[in-house]
Amino acid sequence: MVDNSLELLLKNLPLLLDGLISTLTIALASVILGLLLGCVVGIAHLSRSSAVRTAAKIYLEAFRIIPVIVWLFVAFFAIPIAFNLTISGETAAILILSLWGGAEMSDLVRGALTSIPVAQFEAGRALGLSEIQLYRQIIIPQAIRRLLPGAVNLITRMIKTTSLVVLVGVVDVVKRAQQIIERTHEALPLYAFLFVLFFILCYPLSLLSRWLERKWPT
Amino acid sequence: MKIQRQNFFLPTLALFGALALLTYLGCTKKTADSLSSIRARGELVIGVFGDKPPFGYIDQAGRNVGFDVALARELGRALLGDEKKVKFVTLEAANRVAFLQANKVDIILANFTNTPERAQVVDFAEPYMRAALGVIVPNDSPLKTLADLKGHTLVVDKGTTAESYFVKNYPDIELLRFDQNTEAFQALKDRRGAALSHDNMLLFAWNNGNPGFRLIESNLGNADVIAPAVKKGNTELLQWTNEQIVRLRKEGFFRRAYESELRPHFGSSIKDPSTVLVEPST
Amino acid sequence: MVFDLSFLTRHLPDFERALLLTVGLGVAAIVGSLVVGLLGNAFRNLPLPGARLAVRSYVELARNTPLLVQLFFLYFGLPSLGIHWSGLTCAILGLTFLGGSYMIESIRAGLDAVKKEQIEAGLSLGLSRFQLVRHVILPQALATALPGVAANCIFLLKETSIVGIIAVPDLMHLTLGLIGLYYKTYESLLLLTLAYLLMILPASWALARLERRLRYGRQFA
Repeated sequence: MVDNSLELLLKNLPLLLDGLISTLTIALASVILGLLLGCVVGIAHLSRSSAVRTAAKIYLEAFRIIPVIVWLFVAFFAIPIAFNLTISGETAAILILSLWGGAEMSDLVRGALTSIPVAQFEAGRALGLSEIQLYRQIIIPQAIRRLLPGAVNLITRMIKTTSLVVLVGVVDVVKRAQQIIERTHEALPLYAFLFVLFFILCYPLSLLSRWLERKWPT
Repeated sequence: MKIQRQNFFLPTLALFGALALLTYLGCTKKTADSLSSIRARGELVIGVFGDKPPFGYIDQAGRNVGFDVALARELGRALLGDEKKVKFVTLEAANRVAFLQANKVDIILANFTNTPERAQVVDFAEPYMRAALGVIVPNDSPLKTLADLKGHTLVVDKGTTAESYFVKNYPDIELLRFDQNTEAFQALKDRRGAALSHDNMLLFAWNNGNPGFRLIESNLGNADVIAPAVKKGNTELLQWTNEQIVRLRKEGFFRRAYESELRPHFGSSIKDPSTVLVEPST
Repeated sequence: MVFDLSFLTRHLPDFERALLLTVGLGVAAIVGSLVVGLLGNAFRNLPLPGARLAVRSYVELARNTPLLVQLFFLYFGLPSLGIHWSGLTCAILGLTFLGGSYMIESIRAGLDAVKKEQIEAGLSLGLSRFQLVRHVILPQALATALPGVAANCIFLLKETSIVGIIAVPDLMHLTLGLIGLYYKTYESLLLLTLAYLLMILPASWALARLERRLRYGRQFA
């Protein structure tokens, strides 16, 4: 049985790879946009202006409360219907994944920044460092260390969540697998393949996150 | 402690603005899609099934094939001169209307049955096929008639006429609803339901490849027709599609497509194509 | 944008039913995951060779694969091995499999946070193992672990939104079905969003209160 399954997978590899490229493109675009957005909004969480803080909080809570899949359908159907637009599955996917990733990242960034003791700021200023020097040499390196394990963890979660885009019609690796199942009726090897595939994509990141946590214990 | 930063309002706004801009660029505003805008775009976007052989499915090379797909390619050839200028978007039964409402496709050629409820939200063109419902059970099933289904689970595909038929007329029969065609048939094979209901022709075709089953109903519901659908209000495209269907009927296209795409799958269940196709009214 | 209010009111009972099922599923998943989390940590700390490795392997396997794939595998893949679990069973199993790994990690973080000195002090005071766990380790571990555990609970409640893909009649499954039958796309999505607000907001708020209460005590530790 295993031989047949491997043969099946090999025969259909081009199709699966085609889907995988789609998956990885969406994941990469969303991760980059999301992490950038998250950094900016993370700092906005600590702004002096309560309007900015509230806006950031509403954004964070919106994605904390409503599941990503619901947002995907809102972006894919409700918004185009309401505003008479055309949004492709890929665009909706990247949009929502970036926004969701950004929300989660902003919380990590805020946590990282607030966990740095006040003493660091005071000491830096007492030593006569300018604000820019203070942030570049003292605050940001420490913030990054506290941030990185969680951020790597978030990237893993974003890659996993990319599997949802099949539900809004994106022909990603999951969809390609389903098309092959339709033709060959071999559900078990193909879903097993997807299982292993995502594990291969995410496990190295998980190891990295653990290694970082050990290297920079808080 | 709080980092006091006031001046991140603008960068935040800027980033959100950038995201909005990116999304805007990723979208296109759709006006009532005239033929000229489709020609300008250079491709005709058609929604088809990707998992409903022999009407719309994916072959070994990942290409869209099937009866509906053949019609789609012909329409592309007629409008843009090249059948390769058709962009296929695979969809599910449940989101066919939503895809039209949300401007994702120009035409739906996905075994779309013309019903009064649907006609309220989309515009149907001239029909090209007849449809009725059927119910299929495993060969060793004790069920013989529709009445026997009471107390059993019926598998349906979400958004099909089969689903709405049973929701309306037999609310006591428990339904197991799936998003995709493949999943519904897999569930039947896995014995998750006692029976499955779908378009009769689809069941004939599937039964041909899966002999362990038999139909207990093959002409249920209204004698409906299957037609292309466009977004409501898209009169220019609708008119053009009507003209094409009428022309193709006269030219015998549907007969030819039946022979190449459907007959190999129907086996002995359907003898006369005219029971399936909508013939030209001469 | 014209809203069809009658549609909303007509299908409110459907949404109620789906909401109850979703909540029930979520609670079952949370309980299952907590049990796995506690057992996993207990097993991990046993003086058995390979216990840590076994738990670690499970955690990594569950954490690095998407729930969507896990559910498809359980529901559509296993039947070819003769295993025919119902949609609901697969949903609970899948959610527990995934949630359990998250809980193991959160509880482990809590346990690791208890300082060695506390355990040594407790032992030197003559506390039995059981008393040690109950009065020294668990209270402190719980306080540290709670934010993580709370986040996992909310996460599991939200992850239930995926189980519709194996025909479990949850909120998402209902909404897509309604869109397929009645074509009221954004009315349906609006109800869906409201239903999740109704479900998650109170849960999130209640857990935040619980966190604050536990933290209050620790301020004076």
